[in-house]
Amino acid sequence: MERTVLIIEDEKLIIVSTQMVLEAAGFRVESAVNGEEGIQKAKSMRPDLVLLDIMMPGIDGWETLTRLKRDPETSGIPVIIFTAREHARGHQKSSEMGAADYFRKPFEPDELIELVEKHAGQRV
Amino acid sequence: MVVVTVPRSSEASETACRGGSILDAVLAGVLAVDREGRITLLNPAAERLLELRSMTSIGRHLDAAGPVGRDGELIAAVLEDLARVTVERPSERVVEIHPGGSAELRYVRLRTRCLRDHRQESAGVVFEMLDVTEEHKTNQLKNQFLSIVAHELRTPLTGIKTFSTMLAKGMLGRLEDRQQQVVESIREQSLRLEHQIDKLVNLGHIDSEEYSQDLEAIDVVDVVRQALGGFEVTARDRAITLLAALPDGPRVARIDRSEVRRAVQALVENALKFTRDGGHVTVTVQDTNAEQLEIAVRDDGVGIEPRYHGRIFEKFFQVEDPLTRHHGGSGLGLFFVKNIVEAHGAAVRVESDLGRGARFSFELPIHREAGSDACVDAAAPITPQSAATPRVPAHPTTDDR
Repeated sequence: MERTVLIIEDEKLIIVSTQMVLEAAGFRVESAVNGEEGIQKAKSMRPDLVLLDIMMPGIDGWETLTRLKRDPETSGIPVIIFTAREHARGHQKSSEMGAADYFRKPFEPDELIELVEKHAGQRV
Repeated sequence: MVVVTVPRSSEASETACRGGSILDAVLAGVLAVDREGRITLLNPAAERLLELRSMTSIGRHLDAAGPVGRDGELIAAVLEDLARVTVERPSERVVEIHPGGSAELRYVRLRTRCLRDHRQESAGVVFEMLDVTEEHKTNQLKNQFLSIVAHELRTPLTGIKTFSTMLAKGMLGRLEDRQQQVVESIREQSLRLEHQIDKLVNLGHIDSEEYSQDLEAIDVVDVVRQALGGFEVTARDRAITLLAALPDGPRVARIDRSEVRRAVQALVENALKFTRDGGHVTVTVQDTNAEQLEIAVRDDGVGIEPRYHGRIFEKFFQVEDPLTRHHGGSGLGLFFVKNIVEAHGAAVRVESDLGRGARFSFELPIHREAGSDACVDAAAPITPQSAATPRVPAHPTTDDR
């Protein structure tokens, strides 16, 4: 069965490039350009995985993660934090907040595919 | 730097008096305890910062002296240091405090050193503390600025790197040889730019008191393999043989993935830079013993004169004259390596001589044992709950990439 990844990211360029990588690996990809829209899409689509940016206008990635994990409808969807900025102890923080992993941009396409393969559908 | 000496003769009282008035006048707080953890010295600046009263505190155990303020954050940090510093491992860090339990946040630099008497025996511990709030705030602003700049640079770079990698790996169809060369070159340059941005951000972080590691128990071999990813084209173009001698199985250590990767990248970049075309660079990961593994980068390049071995790790230091030198670079690579490795509790070793290549190496502990050369007696009552908090909290990780 085709697995779906939801990218929550405000930069169009990142959405397009990430989408190309994941589609080449056989995933269906949807996107949302801010946290609010991302939460709505996560509820309606029930994706197998969410790739979540941190620095976004409106509610940021940390707040989006908190809301996704608080809502029983979305709390089981694995979330990978996907960031281009340094965050003090980001890996630890994201793990403590319930994210499945923490991934840095720019990235190696192979590493992204490997990571998404690992977590997609692994509902928690 | 405040030096506290232990008086040894009958003339000591005059010296102590003079020493005492100097200590009263300095800006830094100074506190000393003996081997049993009893307060032997407390100057007015330390009294203010720790919110203690010297009249009632001298001679008492540090943890029994009790802070006047509601929170006692600094004294908690002092107790924590007291439990963990050794002669070989002094401590220096910045502690956040709320004076008098107020909402105001201030930053205090706390340096903790073991004292030795004239017989070289442990004579207790001395703490220096200085309010560095203004400096700290300026540093935070600088780091925020660097972090935002890096984010703005990394976003377009993500597109360039992703597209060029997809093209180079044939994910978007097969290319002609010349097209392949061009996209590989674009990819290589994007990796180089990524590395430069990392260095820029690292410069801010390493200079900063906020510098903190993101430790995970991960496979070091995997991290080294990732670090080598960006250098194949450079090595091939210059006919340099870049070899990786890695163990078959994983070698797990508690490290900061990005930091160690950057350190290895910087060592490889450095080795390639100072190796002639047609030379060799070898990266090795091997077990030194049951508790340590070693990461080493060896080259057969121009080598470094022993007189420079100490200086090459200084920030911006270059062996060559900057106006006439042949090799590029910012002079930051080895500085980062040293800082990253030291933050992991290890040291970088360099073995080299002019014309004989160079070997840089460092060891990482697989198991960390507690030090046995504590500066205070084990029986001294110095282990309240606050002292047991490690600087980097241990946490389980599910990441086994």
